[in-house]
Amino acid sequence: MANNTSNSQKQTRGTSRRAVLGGMAATGAVLAAPARLWAQDATLRWWSPQASPAQLAAYQTQIGLFEAANPGVKVAFEKTSDEGYQPQLAAAFASGEVPNIVTHLPSFAVSDYWSNGLLEAFNEVIEAVGPEKYYRGANDIYEIDRGVYAGTGIGNSAANMLWIRKDLMEKAGIEKIPETWDELRSAAQKMQGGGIYGAPLPYAKNSMTTLTIIGFIHLAGGQVFTPDLQVALDSDETRNALEFYKSMREFCPPGATNYSWGESLTAFVSGATATGIYTGRVLINVNDQNPAIADYVTCATYPRISADVAPWTFNDFPSVFIPKAAGNMDATKKFAASLYDGAGYIQQLHAAPGHVLPVLKTVAEDPAYLDNPIIQKYTPEVDLMSSSAAAGHNLGWESPEHKPNVKAGAIVGSGVLAEMVQRIVLNDEDTTKVINETSTAIEEIMLS
Amino acid sequence: MATADLSPLERKYARLGIVLIGPTVLVFCAVIVYPLISAIYLSLFSIYTPTLEGEWVGLSNYAELLAKGEFWSSLWTNIIWTVGTLTLQILFGVGMALILHQNMIFRSLARSLILFPYFVSTVVAVLVWRWLFNDLYGILNHFVMWTGASDMPVDWLGSMPNALLSVILVGAWKYFPFVVIATLARLQTIPDSLYEAAKIDGAGPIARFFDVTLPQLRDVLVVIIMLRAIWDFKEFDLIYLLTGGGPVTSTQTIPLLVYKEAFALNQMGMASAYAVVMMALMLVFMILYIRRTQENEL
Repeated sequence: MANNTSNSQKQTRGTSRRAVLGGMAATGAVLAAPARLWAQDATLRWWSPQASPAQLAAYQTQIGLFEAANPGVKVAFEKTSDEGYQPQLAAAFASGEVPNIVTHLPSFAVSDYWSNGLLEAFNEVIEAVGPEKYYRGANDIYEIDRGVYAGTGIGNSAANMLWIRKDLMEKAGIEKIPETWDELRSAAQKMQGGGIYGAPLPYAKNSMTTLTIIGFIHLAGGQVFTPDLQVALDSDETRNALEFYKSMREFCPPGATNYSWGESLTAFVSGATATGIYTGRVLINVNDQNPAIADYVTCATYPRISADVAPWTFNDFPSVFIPKAAGNMDATKKFAASLYDGAGYIQQLHAAPGHVLPVLKTVAEDPAYLDNPIIQKYTPEVDLMSSSAAAGHNLGWESPEHKPNVKAGAIVGSGVLAEMVQRIVLNDEDTTKVINETSTAIEEIMLS
Repeated sequence: MATADLSPLERKYARLGIVLIGPTVLVFCAVIVYPLISAIYLSLFSIYTPTLEGEWVGLSNYAELLAKGEFWSSLWTNIIWTVGTLTLQILFGVGMALILHQNMIFRSLARSLILFPYFVSTVVAVLVWRWLFNDLYGILNHFVMWTGASDMPVDWLGSMPNALLSVILVGAWKYFPFVVIATLARLQTIPDSLYEAAKIDGAGPIARFFDVTLPQLRDVLVVIIMLRAIWDFKEFDLIYLLTGGGPVTSTQTIPLLVYKEAFALNQMGMASAYAVVMMALMLVFMILYIRRTQENEL
């Protein structure tokens, strides 16, 4: 019933969006703009934290196609990082030396910058791509102000999938993939041994720990904010999440106190842990780096406190946005739209199949996209990640009922939630006191 | 002497002097005075970093930071880090300089190689050390378990006190070559006659070190300690890349706090206030250093 309501709401919003977008006259100008309308020999700067060798090759293909179709315009790719984009962008905005386009940052970064008037409206680009091509509701998270989009998605991600080794499950006598926390703890205990740990959960002072504990709070049935964005951290659900998270420490490698995305991924891919928590990048990494276990890995939505609680997938909604101060705006918007062109976009998605999932349903159904050995080998896993990501949320938008939280980026960046985990798990401090202080810290950030 | 008393030639020289010193003053103002005044000015505002827009708050940033436990705990960590790593740098540095001062095979090569940690980029050094500390693949943990000292890998960077000790050790490794260079240079200028006289008086190696070498090194060691104390106190990249200030805030020093306020919380005004307070604290070291160098010049 709740789902029906939710879908109904999404449908209503989607229709409204199309109506708004349909009326935008500037769209035609973007598409029809002659290649030489903008300044000759313009160079567009493109920032992204996603820059594996295969992804860089895909970007070069997209850049090459765009440059060939738009003589006089060059595109320069520059790498940023998931942990380091905030200072880089802050410095860029402050100095006015901004990139033309930024991709693959989480949606809550977009809302933060948008709310401070730093971004260009994205409606024209969405219209150029074709709003009807997107999954329904895919752009809702970017509609911070009614009818105006701060950015759009370049993909979806299911960041907290449970990855598990079937061979180790069989060896440990585990018949089914854990669905609840009790089952997960039991499975981790049974599979741990012989140099293999149960799980690579992060306990560090970084964004991965923050984003993971947010997921666990939801998997306990709780939330960080109420739909009208009042701090709701002080709850039994948060306590349950922290208690379980603390109980999993004995099944994680000692160095998990310093794990971020890379270390956690490597721990599972290398075979050092029996389970993993990550996006679909696991698939290509396992096949490339540890093919001996490639036939035994599979994924599921991360276990929750009980079967009564719905799965909650963390989707950071990899985004595309354009700083308002960027030069060559027409060329920039045209380049942004070109990122979704069939062959180039599909090559980008194939660079790490299942890691960044298509945000356009037309591409997800495209035979060229499906014609990939990893996607074909792990079709059930990719399908599960796609459906989970499509229903996913993050701190910037905790549920369909929540208002967009423009302070989510600052909260993640502050590390207060990761500190909460460390104080309770590593320092063994009083849970109630820590939650209260964390709530106060978050409230201060919301007021700042 | 009054200007009116100057001869035309002296006035001409005085004007030339102003012209010649002018560029230096301009550069000094651009790179020292302006940023300093800007930092103090920014610290009086509440400013959102990306836009650099905000409102006047006067001294409330200072009142807020002084009331925060986080500031005092970070300052305490800052002091432990500075004293700890500086002590090890001096001990390792002087010890290594004494060894490299001896006649030994491959001395020139050894003197060159010892500089390696100082020259290598901090990012590269930290990456190497993080691999050494790695719980699953790090050679340190392999060694610990091979020797039977522990059945489980040691959590070098994620728990206390290991994290702070590891950071202090890596800092000492990274910067002790500076002490080696400076000490070695001074050692080579100590007259042999002092040692010969001490030997005639019956002084053994230990007595010669404390009665001849150390007093001769005193001046250079004071300068080294002052400079390295200033540099270590404001160290950011090594600590940030190794632990990020964690676990919790156990290795968070004031420079990391400045960074957190400026870029994680986008509070440039508060970050500037922290930076100004940090600068005031470092002023103590700077005054001591300046007084010391002035004494030497007299």
